[in-house]
Amino acid sequence: MRKIPEIGTYVIAFLIILVLIFLLPRMMPGDPLTAICGEEVLVEMTPELRTELLHRFALDEPLWSQFFVYLTGIMHGDFGYSYYYNAPVLDIILEALPWTLLLVGSSLLLSTVLSIIMGIESGWRRGKISDKSLLTTTMILNGFPNFFIGIILLLVFAVYLGCLPLQGAKTPSSGLSGIDSMLDIAQHLVLPLIALTLAQIPGSYLLMRNTMLTTLKEPFVRTAKAKGLSKVAVRYKHAGRNAMLPIVTTTGVRVGIIFTGALFIEIIFSYPGVGLLTYNALFMRDYPILQGVFFIVAVFVILANFVVDLLYRKIDPRIGDANTEYAQ
Amino acid sequence: MLTPNMHNNYWRELTRNNFGKLGLVLLCLVLVIAIFAPFLARYDPGEPSHSILMPPSLAHWLGTNDIGQDIWSRLLCGAKNTLLVALGVGVFTTILSTVIGASAALVGGLYDKILMRVIDALIVIPAFIVIILVAAYVLPNVWTLIFLISILTWQGGARLVRAQTLSLKERMSVYAARTFGANKLYLVIRHIIPDLNPILFAVFIHSATRGVFMEAGLAFLGIADISTVSWGLMMHHALRFYYLDVWKWWLIPTGLALSATIMALVFIGHAFETAMDPRLREMEQEEWQC
Repeated sequence: MRKIPEIGTYVIAFLIILVLIFLLPRMMPGDPLTAICGEEVLVEMTPELRTELLHRFALDEPLWSQFFVYLTGIMHGDFGYSYYYNAPVLDIILEALPWTLLLVGSSLLLSTVLSIIMGIESGWRRGKISDKSLLTTTMILNGFPNFFIGIILLLVFAVYLGCLPLQGAKTPSSGLSGIDSMLDIAQHLVLPLIALTLAQIPGSYLLMRNTMLTTLKEPFVRTAKAKGLSKVAVRYKHAGRNAMLPIVTTTGVRVGIIFTGALFIEIIFSYPGVGLLTYNALFMRDYPILQGVFFIVAVFVILANFVVDLLYRKIDPRIGDANTEYAQ
Repeated sequence: MLTPNMHNNYWRELTRNNFGKLGLVLLCLVLVIAIFAPFLARYDPGEPSHSILMPPSLAHWLGTNDIGQDIWSRLLCGAKNTLLVALGVGVFTTILSTVIGASAALVGGLYDKILMRVIDALIVIPAFIVIILVAAYVLPNVWTLIFLISILTWQGGARLVRAQTLSLKERMSVYAARTFGANKLYLVIRHIIPDLNPILFAVFIHSATRGVFMEAGLAFLGIADISTVSWGLMMHHALRFYYLDVWKWWLIPTGLALSATIMALVFIGHAFETAMDPRLREMEQEEWQC
């Protein structure tokens, strides 16, 4: 019986991330200093700076002591220095991160709620025209990559409608405050949020619908119907609640997918989160930023998985037993 | 749980399902385009010219891009690149998943435990973000990209193959063969691998879909070999001109071609899974047979 999540799994995942970020720039052919600091460092490279940097990353020492130096840095929140922005990586990322979290968080919430409701209703009406059309629509939507959905939204609103802001997260230097400022931020959020959510819905909806179909065949659903409960109560309280489990257990994985999706959507709508940061960093070969973004997003996703793992054992006591299936 | 059964004809199930049919038709279409692209294309897709950003005309069906290349020819040639990635990632990931998953199930013990731990950990890490970081350093061409995506996304498939192999190991037919004195190798070749086929096909389709999506995504971010004609890369370039009219014949057709390909693979995967899951098959048949 494993009632508590395997902390070891998450520790291993974290270690893999650490080692990957450490080894990747050092294994590349060419100057490891450029691979660690980004190409922008070459602009201001002097022999003194070079010696100083070599010393700072302990590049003249063996690999294990380099790893130790790198690890100590991370422990102190030192993710490196971007020579492109002329600022510590952590500061730059922390400035962008709230926007991404806002986008990812609201999309996670919206897509989960929508796909649960759609899945319940669709499963309940199995075979009816409303179920078939919803299923077909989502299957088609499933084929569209998130960035193409974003592009279509951008074009539709840019060319034909023009009632929503297309760029950024807020109106620059508008001097808005309080409610107005929040409304402004919400308006800027609408299009990226819709794009990200639309890309996310098909997977969760199909999962929810499938589980709903199997749950509806369970004896307890028949009992609930026989008791004369209202249709809504049977659908949501009895069948729906039980069918929700797979959606809950996949939340951790979905957080990863939404984060990745946000990288693309942010680029299309110039939303100033870590995705846009990544895009610019890719363009400028600003490796410290890439490493930092990668580290922080990966840690977020690992943590999300861990929290979900903790929670769903509380929600469904059967999980602890089910997982031993492959542990034996 | 997916329960393959050798008494089911999966091909028939696949072509019975409407999504399956549509998926196969779409995929064949892309395949035909990829094969005949050299004959259908009217210009060398890599050849720049002086007529830049031209609207569609009889000479250039979908106009030209910012360096005067013919978009229609590039669109056709992009199909080959996309299918190559789909096939490459599909095959390579399936091989990795099978070797790792099946060996874990058959060897068992500490080997299995260690592998499962690593797989659990890898599943928690967002693979696409790892690929973006690695690709930013490596700057992959098509082949290194296929290798990179496969080597970083085999974990889910391996877990499926392992679970399936474990249950196949306990089958009556395997027990029977064992009592007749069949050795391990014979059991694997004659009994386990043939019954694994359906699950391997499911893993293949899923990996291929992911491969296409990831290749396009990376190219869209600008991480691609600029000499390849990639739909993702075309969209990357086209997006910079979205405020001009060119999106109508540059951005949208390319996006639709990419989406149609992904859709074909998704449909086939969905139809196949429905065919493999007896509970769903029963229900879907009621729905779609009529």
